[in-house]
Amino acid sequence: MQLKDRIAQGLESGWKVTDGATLTENRTLEADVVVIGTGAGGGTTAEILAKRGLSVILVEEGRLYYQKDFKMDELSAYASLYQEGMSRVTKDGAIAILQGRCVGGSTTVNWTSSFRTPDATLNYWAERFGLDALAPDAMAPWFDGREQRHNMEPWAVEPNVNNDILRQGCDQLGYSWQVIPRNVKGCWNLGYCGVGCPTNAKQGALLTTVPGALDNDAHLIHGLRADKLVMNQDRIDHLRASAMAADGITPSGVTVTLKARHFVAAASAIGTPGLLLRSGIPDPHNRIGKRSFIHPVNACVAEMPEKVEPFYGAPQSIYSDHFNFSGGVDGPVGYKLEVPPLHPAMSAGVIPGHGDTQINTMARLPWMNSVIALLRDGFHPESPGGTIGLRDDGSPYLDYPVTDYLWDGLRRAFHTMAEIQFAAGAKRVRLMHLDSDWYTTLADAKAAIDQLPMELHRVRLFTAHQMGGCGMGANPEESVVNGFGEHHHVGNLSVHDASIFPTSIGANPQLSVYALSARNSTRLANRLKA
Amino acid sequence: MNDNPEVRSVPSDFANLDRRSFLKTSLGGALFLGTVSVTAGLSGCGSMPAGRVSAVGTRMDASYEFRFLTPDDIQLFEALLPAMIGPGLPEQPQARRMAIAGTIERIDAGIHNFGPANQKELRRLFDLLNFGLTRVTIARVWSSWPNVTTEEANAFLERWRTSGIGLFNNGYIALTKISNVAFYGYEDFWHLSGYPGPPQWAVDALPQFQNA
Repeated sequence: MQLKDRIAQGLESGWKVTDGATLTENRTLEADVVVIGTGAGGGTTAEILAKRGLSVILVEEGRLYYQKDFKMDELSAYASLYQEGMSRVTKDGAIAILQGRCVGGSTTVNWTSSFRTPDATLNYWAERFGLDALAPDAMAPWFDGREQRHNMEPWAVEPNVNNDILRQGCDQLGYSWQVIPRNVKGCWNLGYCGVGCPTNAKQGALLTTVPGALDNDAHLIHGLRADKLVMNQDRIDHLRASAMAADGITPSGVTVTLKARHFVAAASAIGTPGLLLRSGIPDPHNRIGKRSFIHPVNACVAEMPEKVEPFYGAPQSIYSDHFNFSGGVDGPVGYKLEVPPLHPAMSAGVIPGHGDTQINTMARLPWMNSVIALLRDGFHPESPGGTIGLRDDGSPYLDYPVTDYLWDGLRRAFHTMAEIQFAAGAKRVRLMHLDSDWYTTLADAKAAIDQLPMELHRVRLFTAHQMGGCGMGANPEESVVNGFGEHHHVGNLSVHDASIFPTSIGANPQLSVYALSARNSTRLANRLKA
Repeated sequence: MNDNPEVRSVPSDFANLDRRSFLKTSLGGALFLGTVSVTAGLSGCGSMPAGRVSAVGTRMDASYEFRFLTPDDIQLFEALLPAMIGPGLPEQPQARRMAIAGTIERIDAGIHNFGPANQKELRRLFDLLNFGLTRVTIARVWSSWPNVTTEEANAFLERWRTSGIGLFNNGYIALTKISNVAFYGYEDFWHLSGYPGPPQWAVDALPQFQNA
């Protein structure tokens, strides 16, 4: 039981926390390090630097929400905790982007799945991008350390029915499955991870590293948007930031200038490339914002004979990597299989439809299972990823073309998901596709999967994992930062978030971000203390 | 229906335009939608948020202040929601009006949190649907929205769902997503999806649900 609230206590004890909405005049602040973003990367960085005695200012565009605000309600949570009120999409509108926007970033709203970066991915990075120092053996102690820090352990409780269906289907078909490690402590098994953990069980940045930094005198300013890193010759002189009004959306007109010896960008794989592009950071090889990856996701729903209640219980506890690396690391695209929780608003938004069809489908929600496939993009020449660009107002967008190589994987994934659901006893299965009916036999489903057009908009696509755009690598001609997240051209700039991944991960990325940020922040602290 | 004056006023060359090829490219689509926004503004289609709608003679809760939807947008959703939600709406007239009005308010509240970029996209979409010329030529809806029947609204949604033009599919997804989320996600309608809400034992045990 984690009923004592770490945040409320910290605020009472005098943590330095400023709500940008309360600022009424422009101000200038100074610290050793300014960290932009408070998610997996920024939180880790701030805690490690602050514990080493460096003064740290943490900047967060979203607002500070914690237990008092987490009431297991979808509509209020999507509006306040997610980027663009849960409406973020790729440039052409074809892929929905789920991404946190609050203190703790996406770790405040993720489903707690905690995977190490797969060995095959790290070995590929070593071979392809000259990142030998990130080989599995070298990274193991960093994964160990972060697994302890965030209390990550395979879920010891029985999976909920939604997850058990994936397990049963895989068992029937001889596909491998595993139990998912989760970053929770005293979890009540309620099922509301995605709307802010109501019981303080989730050990995301909000309840671990951010409090750790604040205990060590870091200063958190939330409701503050990082606009521009301003250079003076070859170094960043200061960050110019805009305070947001209490609605979290409208700039109040107050500007905050933050000066520091060193700047760490940890604003996500969309936010960080956007910030660097807006700032005109030196980019002689035009690499910023290139090779953006998203683990493109497609989905099937199934109606089961017994109740599933997919809105209750730990949302993700079983996964299958049977098809993730089966075609080789750089062969036909592989995919990881998981299940998503299904609450009414999420389901009604994800399942395309209206009128009688929609209400008849929604009425079966308690009997519904869903399986999702996460495609491992970025390991093949025909999967070069997307591009981060800037709109007229300076805000970032992701342009992500879906190549034939990926469509092939999405079609194969539809086949696999339908096979698993029918093998687990599904009465009928429906693809998340504008043209899909409910199919009562596997043969009908497979015939439809072969015939339905694999086209943007018609196939419903999602991403909860944004990666790349400031890729790391040994060669500055094809990367933005080196293997320690240090910018190739600007000496006092580091990037500590998922944007440094040179490909996707092939697993939910939070532990990869925690571990790399811990490693790179430890080195940064040594540099700055020298 | 075809003696609607707006139909006759469509210039024949425009009506015969190969819209499919024009809209196929996103550039064409963007230019076209941009034109609509400008035209709609000039022709007096209000793009100002409706603010507080008087409770007298309307179905709205006068205390709710609209921050994004215009009076035209509200009429659009009043016409679309019966097709969108279908039998999920109560039959009793007063309850039905309240359900529609509340859903439109939650749509407005949701869009407010979308931020400027997606608001701009939705403004283009709503202007296209509200402006008579484009409502007829693009959406193929002949009557103005307050005169559109549920069957006609449903036919429009079906056309955009099954269209081979990605831009229309995208419009269908945008309209259904914001409506479905605002409707099915709201506590009063959870029963329609068999969702009992958060477990009561947890609500009883957690401090954030206890009154001070």
